[in-house]
Amino acid sequence: MLALDRVSKTYPNGVHALARFSAEIRQGEIVAIIGGSGCGKSTLLRAIAGLDRASSGTVTLDSEAIASPHAKIGIIFQEPRLLPWLSVADNIGFGLADLPATERREKVARALARVGLADMAQAWPRELSGGQAQRVAIARALVPQPEVLLLDEPFSALDAFTRRDLQDHLLDLWADTRPTLILVTHDVDEAVVLADRVLVMRPRPGRLFDQIEINLGRPRDRNSPLFENFKRNVLTSLDRSLDRSVPDRDATQGPGQAMWW
Amino acid sequence: MISDAPVLQQSSEPAETAAAPSRLSRYARPMLGLLLPLILALGWELVVWLGWSNGRLVPPPSRVFATIADLARSGELVRHIVATLWRVGLGFAFGVIAGTLLGAISGYWSLARRLLDPTVQALRAIPSLAWVPLFILWLGIFETSKIVLIAVGVFFPVYLGVMGAILIVDRKIVEVGRTFRLSGFAMIRRILLPAVLPAYVVSLRVGLGLGWMFVVAAELIGASEGLGYLLLDGQQLGKPAQILAAIVIFAILGKLTDWLIEVAAAPFLRWQDAFGRVRGA
Repeated sequence: MLALDRVSKTYPNGVHALARFSAEIRQGEIVAIIGGSGCGKSTLLRAIAGLDRASSGTVTLDSEAIASPHAKIGIIFQEPRLLPWLSVADNIGFGLADLPATERREKVARALARVGLADMAQAWPRELSGGQAQRVAIARALVPQPEVLLLDEPFSALDAFTRRDLQDHLLDLWADTRPTLILVTHDVDEAVVLADRVLVMRPRPGRLFDQIEINLGRPRDRNSPLFENFKRNVLTSLDRSLDRSVPDRDATQGPGQAMWW
Repeated sequence: MISDAPVLQQSSEPAETAAAPSRLSRYARPMLGLLLPLILALGWELVVWLGWSNGRLVPPPSRVFATIADLARSGELVRHIVATLWRVGLGFAFGVIAGTLLGAISGYWSLARRLLDPTVQALRAIPSLAWVPLFILWLGIFETSKIVLIAVGVFFPVYLGVMGAILIVDRKIVEVGRTFRLSGFAMIRRILLPAVLPAYVVSLRVGLGLGWMFVVAAELIGASEGLGYLLLDGQQLGKPAQILAAIVIFAILGKLTDWLIEVAAAPFLRWQDAFGRVRGA
């Protein structure tokens, strides 16, 4: 279990990015974090990843405190961040340097096949499309079999078709080993498609505002009325988090825009 | 009749004709660079041949090449070239090793940079030839002082190139290394050095250029063999053809070694997605 206990972050320039954020995330759960810009979503993710230290509060994974990058925690960024001087296969195997070469090659080959890029093993990153590059990034993060995988708006730079494709693909990969997924997004559709639970954050300072359980079986039908309903719930909560509309859950609003900033 | 046969055979292969234009341009393009020096050399040759100048102080190319041929025949040339190449090679190797190590260290650790870099920059500000008297006092007039002088000349551009390039490596790429728990030398080896490789190759080439510069300085100061010695000997005995011969050989060796670095680095830089790559060499 991943436990966040009153995690706060104040940057050296005085910006209060995150205030006393607490949450408990079960092993294998998929959690989406959504909120207006500047609500500390990415700050939170970076604290969990151990890339930045929280000013106060603790992040613990299975009762082990996280203060620096941890072997059980992987991260996928908004950009693929592939290393341009390594082939696709070597990029995927980057985190497996400690394994013997044969075992590494085996795992990389399996991961390549799993993300559908077996024929691109020896390609350079510059030869990949945006979607392919993000697949490689996903494979690179998953191949060391992390218990927790963090995703920082991983599909926001992709076109709508590629994004849907990769969302489905991510769920597919998740089902293999069922790591905990924590996904930062500003796309309500994406949150409802993927998550078991949506955490809505509120800005200035960033803090937890609302939690919405998405009790939908998988695979989820993006066009079902139930799906629309959950989307509307999340949108409403988002609006309330910014005090933009009267807090009234039952009010029937329009379907709202799928992309929300 | 006999000479026609292979030509016909060749042109009947479709693959050969398809490759022909690109191959032509591949060989023709470097040739273009030879055009200007050739015209100048032939022009001067003509001027001397027509008697417009006696060519005593500026000997025509034919006389320079005759001098090179003479030196080559007596075995002198090889001895001088080997001596100079040996000095440049050793000095370059030491300079590159020290420059790379220290450059990587002060690029990566900010504490090391604060401690080390001001001193290195202050030393860099000293014209390297100013060290010569001291090196001779310390290390004698033989090989050691020469090689150290060359190494000092090579060190600074390599150090500065590595450190400067590491400082501007994309933070996002470094973060990838951090998420895989790389730090210290693993971070330098697996992330920083590959990332700075293109800039590193440039600084190696600059360093090598300085290495050639300093070998001349070292050999002019006192040597009994080497291309720099040929220069000095030519001046003292009034043999301008010998001076020019040494200069021509310097040019050829300098260009050749520079090209070697370029060629040796090329396989490691195939990944680049850069302006220069598309344009071609």
